[in-house]
Amino acid sequence: MKPATAPTRRGEPLLSVRNLGVTFQLRGQQGAKAVDDVSFDISAGQHVGLVGESGSGKSVTSLAIMGLLPQRGVKVRGEVMFDGVDLLKKSRREMSDLRGREVSMVFQDPMTSLNPVVPIGTQIAEIIQRHFNAKKGPALEKSEDLLAKVGLPDPHRRLREYPHQLSGGMRQRVLIAMALACEPRLLIADEPTTALDVTIQAQVLEVLKKLVADTDAALLMITHDLGVVAGLCDTVNVMYSGRIVESATRERLFGQPRHPYTGGLLASIPKLDSPRGAPLTPIPGSPTQLLPWSEGCAFAPRCRNRTDECTSRTPGLDPDGDRHLRCFNPLTPTVAEAAR
Amino acid sequence: MSTLLKVEGLKVHFPIRQGLLLGRQVGAVRAVDGVDLEIPEGRTLGLVGESGCGKSTLGRAILRLSPITEGRVMFDGVDVASLKGEKLRAIRQDMQMVFQDPMASLDPRQSVETLLTEPLRAHGIAYDRRTRVKELLEQVGLPSSAARKYPHEFSGGQRQRIGIARAIALEPRLVIADEPVSALDVSIQAQVLNLLEELQHSLGLTYLVIAHDLAVVRHVSDEVAVMYLGAVVEQAPSDGLYEKPLHPYTKALMSAVPVPDPVVEATRERIILQGDLPSPANPPPGCRFHTRCPFRQPTRCDTERPALRELDRDHRVACHWAEDIASGKIQPHAVRPEDVMTFTSRPSNPSEIFDAMP
Repeated sequence: MKPATAPTRRGEPLLSVRNLGVTFQLRGQQGAKAVDDVSFDISAGQHVGLVGESGSGKSVTSLAIMGLLPQRGVKVRGEVMFDGVDLLKKSRREMSDLRGREVSMVFQDPMTSLNPVVPIGTQIAEIIQRHFNAKKGPALEKSEDLLAKVGLPDPHRRLREYPHQLSGGMRQRVLIAMALACEPRLLIADEPTTALDVTIQAQVLEVLKKLVADTDAALLMITHDLGVVAGLCDTVNVMYSGRIVESATRERLFGQPRHPYTGGLLASIPKLDSPRGAPLTPIPGSPTQLLPWSEGCAFAPRCRNRTDECTSRTPGLDPDGDRHLRCFNPLTPTVAEAAR
Repeated sequence: MSTLLKVEGLKVHFPIRQGLLLGRQVGAVRAVDGVDLEIPEGRTLGLVGESGCGKSTLGRAILRLSPITEGRVMFDGVDVASLKGEKLRAIRQDMQMVFQDPMASLDPRQSVETLLTEPLRAHGIAYDRRTRVKELLEQVGLPSSAARKYPHEFSGGQRQRIGIARAIALEPRLVIADEPVSALDVSIQAQVLNLLEELQHSLGLTYLVIAHDLAVVRHVSDEVAVMYLGAVVEQAPSDGLYEKPLHPYTKALMSAVPVPDPVVEATRERIILQGDLPSPANPPPGCRFHTRCPFRQPTRCDTERPALRELDRDHRVACHWAEDIASGKIQPHAVRPEDVMTFTSRPSNPSEIFDAMP
């Protein structure tokens, strides 16, 4: 039942997000911009990270790509080119054919994304039946294979079990099995291990890594955990207040953060291998809820490198040597090294 | 340095009852099953472990917020476990707690001023409302205008500051912080950790910091205790523990923590544990960790429960084979998931879990 996926068009990225913006508009109120001017590319088989704190717009970005935002009260702008076709222009029916087949998603909380009253085998088989017109029998057999692949012991018996009978780590494995059931070309994982303990997180990440490599899917990893990204992603996009502020390969980004926010984040995280008593340098203040990008840089109030320019002009995401950077006064390489 | 808190053989068992009304007890969830700890005055002990290992229950039991089944909690020479009524209430003045979720632990209908003075009123301490509230807010780095506001008007980090201000309002000697930063955003966590450290210096506090994040615990603690399934498996000064973990569980835990450095991530040794935490209602015999242990030996591990013993200076570990593992004589082997399953908690009957709750 190996799906015959068309090869990506030569030289073009598999997914290309261009100037994506999402505004939530309540009646009679000013619209709230959750995501603004977000652009990034994912090539076939590539692992890309989207990092940010809560409220930075990373989850809304993923929902917009998947076409899962509500239709009412939400305005989505920009382009989401998947294999040369704009997903934002597709009808709901076309999107529904595509979701789970070409692009699929793993959510954070496995208890709320699984149906509590349907056995997990049926839930996985449902996707295979929907996309391959398969009968229930063969679909269930395939589900059993998938459960074995994600490392669930005794998969045959598990097919008939309900989500509440599984532990958190097992539920997340089931979700990964469902997401990869049709061997999609792009997998979006939205904080897939945040609800899990570290040792279980390590198990689940290992399974995810292996399966993504086996199926040759591209991965968009959305997380707040810089550590997860450091071990998994080829390139990393850092988001702040709805915009990407720095984008680079993982070696460059972690080796030499240039945006003051990225640098500040790395300096403020306690590390396992740093000696006790090494002081943390916190970023002062807290993220703002509204998007103040219209009048200068949104990070300016918390930034150590702030100048007058930062509060009067809005920085764009411009190429800067080995990366893209949205900053007028980036950290110089030496300062960045010292801050680490 | 004198010992402020000493916990000896502490057990907290929650009975599992069956039957409708006065159900008979059919078992017990052994949330904490024999823990010994000691914190010198002015120091910080970190308690790490995964969810379900009993670390929070232990913290609550020390404050008598959870019933103690067995054991002693000596606070400055007084056994808290045997205190009752007024005496227990009085000693709580010296032992305060910072909770994980400040939104849930602060009454949304009380102003910050009321929240901060409530403990003072409860303990009948005379105070000058204006100056004390202002002083407390200053200590945690909030403007004095915060006094008239309500919890919802603050950000997560500021709310946690209020929670800390309330904990230090009574000038306690011991503060137990249960996951003080895990509900906060990464960029805010460092602010709160630094605040805790400052307060320790200025007020001479003794801390028990409970957290699942090893890096956070390492940063704030002088000494670290690692818990697994109701018992401490390893305890050591924090530098010693992170440089040379001796217990297989500590090794696995540390290798599982993602490090924000691609070079480290690519090169370090990784131990991936199989399966989930066994159920504390039906813990494995012998060493609690033997079902998932990649260093498990055919003898002793599954029959004899290892006690904490001192291997290096101040470095205690509960493993029969710690020396051989450290010297490399015993090498890790594969663990089949099937072996783990026998004891893995399978909450097939949800009512069991609810009954077990206090």
